[in-house]
Amino acid sequence: MPIIDVKNLTHTYLPGTPYEKKALDDITLSVNQGEFLGIVGANGSGKSTLIQHFNGLLSPTAGQVTVCGRDTSVKQHRNELWKKVGLVFQYPEQQLFEATVFDDVSYGPRNLGLSSPEVERRTVEALKKVGLEPDTVAGLSPICLSGGLRRRVAIAGVLAMKPEVLVLDEPTAGLDHPGREMILELIKKLQREEHITIVMVSHSIREIILLAGRIAVLEKGRLIAYGDTKEVLRQKDFQTLPGVVLPDYLQLIYALAGRGKSVNPGIITLAEAELEIAKLLEEKDK
Amino acid sequence: MKQEKSLKLGQFVLGNSVIHQLDPRTKIIGCLGIIFSVLMNFKWYVILLNISLIIAVIFLSRVKVARVLRGLRKLRYLFLLTFIFQAVLTAGEPVFHLGGVSVTREGIALGTSTIFRLLILYLSSSLLTMTTSPLKLASGIESLLSPLHYLRIPVSQFSMLISTALRFIPTIIEEAETITRAQRSRGAQFNSQRMITRLKSYTAVLIPLLAASLQRANDLAVAMESRCYTGGSSRIRTGSLCFKEKDRLAIGLVSLAFVLSVVLV
Repeated sequence: MPIIDVKNLTHTYLPGTPYEKKALDDITLSVNQGEFLGIVGANGSGKSTLIQHFNGLLSPTAGQVTVCGRDTSVKQHRNELWKKVGLVFQYPEQQLFEATVFDDVSYGPRNLGLSSPEVERRTVEALKKVGLEPDTVAGLSPICLSGGLRRRVAIAGVLAMKPEVLVLDEPTAGLDHPGREMILELIKKLQREEHITIVMVSHSIREIILLAGRIAVLEKGRLIAYGDTKEVLRQKDFQTLPGVVLPDYLQLIYALAGRGKSVNPGIITLAEAELEIAKLLEEKDK
Repeated sequence: MKQEKSLKLGQFVLGNSVIHQLDPRTKIIGCLGIIFSVLMNFKWYVILLNISLIIAVIFLSRVKVARVLRGLRKLRYLFLLTFIFQAVLTAGEPVFHLGGVSVTREGIALGTSTIFRLLILYLSSSLLTMTTSPLKLASGIESLLSPLHYLRIPVSQFSMLISTALRFIPTIIEEAETITRAQRSRGAQFNSQRMITRLKSYTAVLIPLLAASLQRANDLAVAMESRCYTGGSSRIRTGSLCFKEKDRLAIGLVSLAFVLSVVLV
């Protein structure tokens, strides 16, 4: 059974007022235990609204969302979901509030009602996972860290709760290249080694396709493509969507395939593209 | 637990009615006129006159009556308490005794009229903010206060202060909502039974909010300075204010009501 099951979800903000806005329109998708779902879409396409349904911050206007077997339209279930689904908001570093890094990361575990040795153990572990040295940073004030480090602290704050599902909203936005790589590496490791179910929102297709097993593409609140990453990538109408900018090497491969060259368009990484092109050149030489 | 973004009390709603089109100064003057007339005089016919004026404005502005009334719900305890205190504490002819206190006829009359006066204060000011965009409101205030310039009071800075503050209220509210959600995802209990737990949860929102506001104020200052803002009165607005036919009519009507209210003492 899928861990997150969304059926015909519609969400309307401010219904019945002049500011009424349909943010999500008839979305149906599901996330399986241990998989990596990428959600892609332009600004205002409803990505953030969708993921807030996953941990019960929003409830459906119509349709049904079931997370860990529980219907989120029940208030009781919604209030308990934060323990199972960790949500990393956009720019999470802005939400740090405690005097020290240690206190901030341990906020979630403390709210879980864990014993203090367990809280400490989890905090140290979470800091290590995000690549921070607990002994050096734990006593610092979050304010005196750089933006990238603060982001890691904020993510550690969610990881310390050991969620079954980790939902991330644009975790790499505004970071420099090494910062981005580090975060992406961390997310990949969490999924592959700890089998945490991951849902990641991004408007960078390049990032998403390298990580996600399946992707969902939103446009203006509607789900316009959804499925296995390779399959979605090969869809002609997906490639030509106005908001979609594929990496150069994929564009090249698709263009070659379009001209009837014998390349395999079912690839994802740059290395695979290289191999395909090398093969093509070899054939030509013969 | 708040589920959806809700419209705030007295929030501006875009519209194109006669009231929306009025000059902001007209609406400010009208609002002040009504407020002063009920503060100065609380005879029933004055209240009736001003209430009917407000009802006419609600009707003309096509603001949803349900929204106006919803805001009133939050004030119901204030109304109730006011009424009780007025009824009990006013000296006069007792109507009935309740325990050690006696409720007087004068008290009931005064209590009722006070409720209506509060109602008028609330309705007139919220109608002003519901039909006037913050930017227009600020330029209206600036224009009305501009004579103070001769008393060496920095009106333009003051109005910049107001318009900046008004501009950032929705931004800060939105940010507060996001932070609240983020902290709730980490288990902050905003609806806990225990007061202490609730208060502690709110510090988790207030501290980042304050930090972000200071940061934003700093950014804004830099942005304004880099565009050569020096705080003088040499700034001009796009779209200057001007009184039209309907503004004159509206001011005339409100002045008439004001004069009637004050003269009929």
